Amino acid sequence: MLRYQENNELHRDFHGNTDSAIRYFAGRYGEEKIKEILRRTGHDVYKSIREKLAKNDPSELLEHLVWFYHREGAEFDLKVTANEIRFEVFECPAHKHLRRLGLPVEPINCLQTSEVNAGMCEGTGWTSSVEHIGDDHCVQIFRKEK
Amino acid sequence: MIPSDHFVRFYNELFKFLETLPPEEMQAYYRSISEHQEMHTLALFKEKGLKGMYEYWDHIRFEENCDLELELHEDRLVKRMKKCPSLSKVLDNDASPCYSYCNHCPGWVIPVLEKAGYVAQYDIIDHRKPCCRSVIYPASSGKKSSITASEEGKAQK
Repeated sequence: MLRYQENNELHRDFHGNTDSAIRYFAGRYGEEKIKEILRRTGHDVYKSIREKLAKNDPSELLEHLVWFYHREGAEFDLKVTANEIRFEVFECPAHKHLRRLGLPVEPINCLQTSEVNAGMCEGTGWTSSVEHIGDDHCVQIFRKEK
Repeated sequence: MIPSDHFVRFYNELFKFLETLPPEEMQAYYRSISEHQEMHTLALFKEKGLKGMYEYWDHIRFEENCDLELELHEDRLVKRMKKCPSLSKVLDNDASPCYSYCNHCPGWVIPVLEKAGYVAQYDIIDHRKPCCRSVIYPASSGKKSSITASEEGKAQK
C-alpha cells in the first residue's frame, strides 16, 4: 500500500520547479551536493519503500512506479522477475511538461530519477540504475544483490 | 522522476540543506524562485493589478488543491489559507519538516509584488500549522511589506 495517497488535481508545473531547483543547486553548490539531497529525498521521504525493499518486498516500489507514472499520463512497460524490476518509460512526463513550458531539457534533469532511486535502495540489498535509450526514453532497473 | 505530487517533499529537503548555511543563501534561493515565478505572474500583476492577482491565486487554489479564501476589495486583496496543501504534505512525511518551510511563500511573492508596485503583509500564524493569511495593498497606500507569525509560541506563554 502506498504511503502517500495522492489522487486529486495534478499540478504539472512542479516539474519546472524541480528542474530549476536541480540546476540552481548544481550550479551554486556543485553536482555532488544536489545528488546528495536527491538521494536523501529517496532515502527519507520514501522510507516505507526502502524498508520494504530491505525485507525483500518490492510491492510498494512497484505500486509507486505504476501509480505515479500512470497519473502523469506516461506510457510504460513493467517487467518483474525474481531478482530484477525493469520499468521502461517511453516518454518521460517531466521532460514532456518542460517542453510544453518551452524550457530546455538537459541531462542533469535525469538525476532526479537516478539519485532518488539510489536513495530508496540504500542499505536494502537492492541496487538501481538507469539506461538512457533516448532523450525522454529510459529504463529504470532495480536489482536484488546476490 | 519525482512525481509532481511529491515535489514539495523534495523542496523541503532543499530548504533543510539551506538552513545549515548562512541566511543569505536562503534569501538567494528565494530570489531565484521569485525570478522563475515572474514568468507566470509579473505581467499579469502589472497589467491587471489586484484583479490579476485574484485570477492567479484563484487558478492556483484549484490546481494546487488549496482550501483558500480570496476576497477582492478595491484597495486590497485578502487571502486566507485555511489548509495549505504544500505544508500539509511536508508535515505528512516520513522525512522531518524544515522549520522555516512556510517562509518561501512570502520569500518569492513579495519581491514579485513589489516589482509590480504592491506590498504584502503576511501572517504565517504558526510555522507548524498549514494555514496563514495575507493582505496585498498597492504600494501607494504607504504600507510596508511584512512577515509575522502571530500565534507562534503562544502556548508556551
